[in-house]
Amino acid sequence: MAAAAKQAQQLARQLFKLSVVDHVVSTDRVAGVLAYVEKHAPANAVLVLKAYHRLIAVELAKSEARVEHAGAVAPTALAAIAAAMTKNYRRPITATAHAHPALLAGLRVRVGDDVYESSVSSQLAALSLSV
Amino acid sequence: MSTVLDQIEQQIAKLSTKAVKKNTGNIRTIADGVAKIDGLSDVMYNEMVAFPGGAIGIALNLEETEVGCVILGDVSKLKEGDEVTTTGKLLSVPVGKALLGRVVDALGNAVDGKGPIDAKETYPVERIAPGIMARKSVNQPLFTGIMAIDSMIPIGRGQRELIIGDRGTGKTTIAIDTIINQAKINKVGLASGDAKFRPVYSIYVAIGQKSSNIVRTVAALEAAGALEYTIIVAATAADNPANQYIAPYSGAAMGEWFMENGMDALIVYDDLSKHAVAYRQISLILKRPSGREAYPGDVFYLHSRLLERAARLDGKGSLTALPIIETLAGDVSAYIPTNVISITDGQIFLETDLFNQGIRPAVSVGLSVSRVGSSAQIKATKQVGGKLKGELAQFRELAAFAQFGSDLDAKTKAQLERGARIVELFKQPAFSPAAIELQVSILFAMQKGFFDPIDAKKVVAAAANMKNFFTTRKDALLTEIRNKAALDKDLEAKLQAACDEWKSGYTA
Repeated sequence: MAAAAKQAQQLARQLFKLSVVDHVVSTDRVAGVLAYVEKHAPANAVLVLKAYHRLIAVELAKSEARVEHAGAVAPTALAAIAAAMTKNYRRPITATAHAHPALLAGLRVRVGDDVYESSVSSQLAALSLSV
Repeated sequence: MSTVLDQIEQQIAKLSTKAVKKNTGNIRTIADGVAKIDGLSDVMYNEMVAFPGGAIGIALNLEETEVGCVILGDVSKLKEGDEVTTTGKLLSVPVGKALLGRVVDALGNAVDGKGPIDAKETYPVERIAPGIMARKSVNQPLFTGIMAIDSMIPIGRGQRELIIGDRGTGKTTIAIDTIINQAKINKVGLASGDAKFRPVYSIYVAIGQKSSNIVRTVAALEAAGALEYTIIVAATAADNPANQYIAPYSGAAMGEWFMENGMDALIVYDDLSKHAVAYRQISLILKRPSGREAYPGDVFYLHSRLLERAARLDGKGSLTALPIIETLAGDVSAYIPTNVISITDGQIFLETDLFNQGIRPAVSVGLSVSRVGSSAQIKATKQVGGKLKGELAQFRELAAFAQFGSDLDAKTKAQLERGARIVELFKQPAFSPAAIELQVSILFAMQKGFFDPIDAKKVVAAAANMKNFFTTRKDALLTEIRNKAALDKDLEAKLQAACDEWKSGYTA
C-alpha cells in the first residue's frame, strides 16, 4: 500500500510538472494530462489523480490572492493587491474578493499558505491572548 | 464603563495596523498528541507552531505533502481543519535562579501552585552541545554523599554517569541523595564565606513517572532542605508523549544557563528508558520507519545529543548529568541500556540480588565504573579508598569459592572477613548522604583495622556510632580534612588518635 502510494505520488509529480508553464498552471496541459490518464489508466489511477489534484490545488492557490473583507473593497484596491503580490512573489497573481463579515473590519489576504492579516478580529484575538 | 472601553481602544490603537504575514496550514489528522498538517510550506525543522486556543507544537516531520507536529498542551479542543501558523521561533523555556525551588512542566510553566515564575531569560530547548575547544577535562569532584560511590566510582563535575538497574533497586534514591548532598555542601560552603566556593544547583527531570512518586520526591527534597537549590521538571505519566519527549531537553536548557553563567549544575534524567518509549510512540504515530524493538533509527541521537550537552566549560561552569535507565531482569545488553552506556562516562549498576540481601545502595562494584576515575577524586579519598575496589572484587571471588565449603587458609579467611566488613560499611540508609570528610574518617578507620574486632553484623551500628562520634566531638578535625582535602602525617596522627578515642569508648 505504501509502495503504491509512493509510486502514485511520483507519477502525479511528473504529471504536475508537465502541467505548469512559467509558474502558471496551463488549462490545456491539465486537460491533456486528464485525457492521457483516462486513455492509459495507470496503476492506482485514483491515487494518482488525488495526488495530482492536491498538487494542482496548491499551485493554483499560489497564483491567487484570496482577499477576505468585512466591508466593501474597491476594484482599484484589488488591482493594487494583485500588483503588489505579483511583484512580491515574482509570478502572476490574480486577486479575488470574498466577503467575510466575521473579520469586523480590515482585510485578510491569502496567497498559498501565506496569510497577510490586517483585520480587527485578528487584532482582538491577539489582544485577548496577551491579556 | 467608558474607561474600560477607552483602555481597550487605546490597546487596539497601540497594535500595529500593518499587515502581519503568517505562514499557515490546516490540521489534516490529529491523534495521540501528534497532528498532521497540510500547508505550512515555510516551516523549519523543530520550529514552534501555534495551534488555536494557545496550544503549541513542534514540527518534527517535514514531508512533501504534510508536516508532522507534536503538540504540547491541551489537545482536547483541536479538530480537523483548524488553522495552524508558524512562529519563526524555536521552542524556549524560562531559565535562571528564579526557577530554583519550583516544580515546572516541560515548557517551564509552574505547576506547584506557588504563582508565576519571574524568569528574565529564556533558552531554546534544543541546542547544539558545546564543541571540543570550549570544553575542559573533568577534574573537580562532585560528591554524592554515598560512600560506595565517592570512594570507588567517583563522579566529576561535567561528567555523565549512568545509574542503571532493575525497577525498585534504588536508582532514584541515589539521585536524590546526590541532590541532597549538593544542598548540604552548598549550605556549608556558602556559610563559610569562601569566595572560591562554587555551589552546585540541581535539576531533577521526572519523565513518565507517577505523580505520586514526584510528590514523594519533592517532599523528600523539601524535608532535607534541598528544594531551594533544585528545579523539578515534571512530565508525568499522565502527560502526553510530546511533553515527556521534550522534558529532558527543557531541563538541559535550564542547566545550561547555570553552566554558561559560570556556575555548576547537576541534572538527573529519571528516566531515559521512559523517554525512549515516549519518543518511540511519537515516531510510530508520525509513521517514521521503525528499527530494533520498534524504536526509530535516530534513538541513539535522541540521547547522545541530550547527554553531550553536559560538559565542563573552559572559563565557565559545568553541567553534570546523571541519566537513569531501568533494565528488565538485569539485562544491560538491551538496546537502550547499551546505547546510553556507550554515550556516558561510566555507569553505576544496581543489582536486585544485592538489594534483596539488604545491601543498600545495591551497587555492583564489578559492573560499575567511572571512566573519569580518580582525577575527579580528592587526594584524601584516594589515600584511604584507593585499593577498596580491588579488595571488594577479590572478596567477591573468594566468597564464591568459599561457598564450596573447603578449608580456608588464614589469609583467605582474613580477606573474607575484611571484605564482609567493607560490604557492611558501605550500607547507607536512604536520604542520609555522608560528608566527604566523614567518609574519609570512616574509611581510614576501616583501613587501620578498627572494625576488624567487631562482628560483621554489627559493623553498620559501629559505623553509625563512629559517624556520630566524629560529627559531635571531632568537628574541628573534620573541618581540617575538608579544607586540606589530603591526609598528611599530622592529620593521620590526629585521625588515629580520634579512632583510638572512639574505640576506647565504644562497646558493641
